[in-house]
Amino acid sequence: MEEVLRSLALFHTEIALTAGLMLVVLVDAAGGAWRNAAVRALSLATLATALVFAVRLQVAGAAGEIFSGALVVDPLGTFFKIVLVLASLLLLLAFTFRNARELHGLGQGELFALVLALTLASLLLVAANDLVMLYLALETVSITSYVMVAYLKGDRMSNEASLKYVLFGAVSTGSMVYGLSLLYGMTGTTSLPRIQEFLAGGIPDGNRFAVYAIALLVMAGFGFKIAAVPFHFWCPDVYQGAATPVTALLSVAPKAAGFGIVLRFFYGTLAVPVTSAWDLTGVIDWQAVLVVVSVATMTLGNVAALTQNNMKRLLAYSSIAHAGYILMGVVALSDNGARGLLVYLFAYLFMNLGAFLVVTLVHLHDGTFDLRDYPGLYRRSPLLTIAMGFFLLSLVGIPPFVGFLGKLYVFGAVVALGPGYYWYAVVGAVNAAIAAFYYFRVLKVMVIDPGNEAKPALSLALADRAWVLFFAAANILPLFFWSRIEEWTRGALVLYAGR
Amino acid sequence: MTAEAIVFTVFAVLTVGSALVVVLARSLIYNAFALLFTFFGVAGLYVLLGADFLAAAQLLVYVGGILVLLLFGVMLTHKIYELDLKTDTVQFVPGLIVAAGLFVILAATGWRTEWAAVPRPPEPTTREIGGLFLGQYLLPFEAASVLLLVALIGAAMIVRRRKDA
Amino acid sequence: MIALPHYLLVSAALFSLGVLGLLTRRNAVNVLMSVELILNSANVNLVAFSRYSAGNLEGQIFAVFVIVVAAAEVAVALAIVLTLYRLRRTPNLDEADILKG
Repeated sequence: MEEVLRSLALFHTEIALTAGLMLVVLVDAAGGAWRNAAVRALSLATLATALVFAVRLQVAGAAGEIFSGALVVDPLGTFFKIVLVLASLLLLLAFTFRNARELHGLGQGELFALVLALTLASLLLVAANDLVMLYLALETVSITSYVMVAYLKGDRMSNEASLKYVLFGAVSTGSMVYGLSLLYGMTGTTSLPRIQEFLAGGIPDGNRFAVYAIALLVMAGFGFKIAAVPFHFWCPDVYQGAATPVTALLSVAPKAAGFGIVLRFFYGTLAVPVTSAWDLTGVIDWQAVLVVVSVATMTLGNVAALTQNNMKRLLAYSSIAHAGYILMGVVALSDNGARGLLVYLFAYLFMNLGAFLVVTLVHLHDGTFDLRDYPGLYRRSPLLTIAMGFFLLSLVGIPPFVGFLGKLYVFGAVVALGPGYYWYAVVGAVNAAIAAFYYFRVLKVMVIDPGNEAKPALSLALADRAWVLFFAAANILPLFFWSRIEEWTRGALVLYAGR
Repeated sequence: MTAEAIVFTVFAVLTVGSALVVVLARSLIYNAFALLFTFFGVAGLYVLLGADFLAAAQLLVYVGGILVLLLFGVMLTHKIYELDLKTDTVQFVPGLIVAAGLFVILAATGWRTEWAAVPRPPEPTTREIGGLFLGQYLLPFEAASVLLLVALIGAAMIVRRRKDA
Repeated sequence: MIALPHYLLVSAALFSLGVLGLLTRRNAVNVLMSVELILNSANVNLVAFSRYSAGNLEGQIFAVFVIVVAAAEVAVALAIVLTLYRLRRTPNLDEADILKG
């Protein structure tokens, strides 16, 4: 009992989300004329409260295991919590049932409940300290995502996409459980810190094969969540088929949560403090495997995006490519690498949400996601075009945009590994150059290509204008707060791994 | 052959044999009923392993819940075997080769690896599992309710026909 | 004398059959059944390890949660299948797949 009470003191963020979730469900079920407005207000209040709690937790710098070792609180996890809650909050603020044409006429309460549930589950995932908690949280995130993608149930493409998502996800996570069961059999425990202790003690040679099998199977589950090759197949179809606000959230939240658990699993469980904090148990050359995955992911994402005309598919492949860059931070296996990952994710949040907001607004006014319908947008809405320019340049990674910060850190971390890894950084740079092609292509179509003169100017609602400006600013301003961000991510690098 | 060996063989053959039917049979109804026997076989294996609570849970949830749901799904969409809801499949023989290879690899791994060796003599588990759920695994236990809530809301929302406000 | 490897053999067989099913079956409900085979194979592993390797009940608890998740997954998956079936129930059964790849 004392354990539970002690744990609850460090659990405010999740409690707020749970209470909010339950209230939203109840209010939505109660009905009434003000139902939709009430549910939205409630969700926003919940997320704002959760954000405040998360920031307080970060400031307090709390660390330790809670709930009998099921979860762990540490600055790294709290960083991810802040990013995740912020993502959902910004999503619900900027994307509404009014400005997302696909959502017109659909029930609102369920989506808010799902967003809150997704956020809650992601928070549990990045704090998971036990295989059971890891699996449960991962699956809750996944199942919530499946339902959110299936939201447009009247649309056949959306249904096909969500079915593909469910089946692919179920197989990936099913394989992951098989792998986790083997890990349990080898170590005799489901607790991550104790697994780490066991692995640190050395693995008999006969077990090599089992470790390979475990690694592959577990990577199936994680790779699916972050959409890394070869577990990325669901990504373009799902991003295209889901309602754009859902796609925007999926491109940020589950991906960030996935990277959170990847960091914790690879660094915290499979890493052994031998010479530095980040040595991996020497059975498999993890770095080599991750390098291959990372290169394949970024290359495939970038090359496939070159030929896309559907904006959502283009951004989906762009998302896949960015996962490849973020993996560079994991490969680097150092403080710099982890910091690079954190900065990149933080930047990625603003770039991606901004880009998807523009796509949503264009769809609201023009009813299309096709790039070939974008010409002339500069004349019709300079604000949208310039803002999109900010987001695209940020995605390319050009200074002074925030995307540059992210790339700088991960590339720097890889280069710091030594000459053996220079080729890897070069591959990354080449990929960024390839990516520039399709990002600039979008910009070119919007600005230079002559559009249909008869199309009227896009008049954006005040709220939409405000949020576009917000995201545009968010892509530029962080550069002025560089040192603050650096401090923050450095402080977040404390990974409590049972020590 | 000890009694344990005979019972194990019976359940193992039942499980794997039914699984074969699930994967190979043509009619969806045959698949569903073969799956029923697979679940029964697995429950039997659980009993042999001393997991009495889990065996009961398997029967209640898998057979009584999931399988019934699958059967409903199969019957409500009775022409569904004419609809190919998934088009990217592999020819049978290459698939068989992959699966066979996978089996060999996994079986070899299972046989060769030095697993941890702390046996637990079979004894009733229900009380201890209950204690664990309210003790060490309290949080996952409660978090599972969020999962079930989401699944409930989600499934109901996806399937209902009425126009939403 | 029945020991751990025998159970691991059974679970390996179940896993492989599940993979076979999911590679070769065209119908979504069949794929779902294959996924259930995979999840059951993982569960057999967990319970067998709990009995022979770990000496504790953590594996069995994990297995209970796997069952819970499987139930939720099947519910959502079947809801989607049902909706898709309703939308697709046209005479035109060999309509091309809208989504590429």
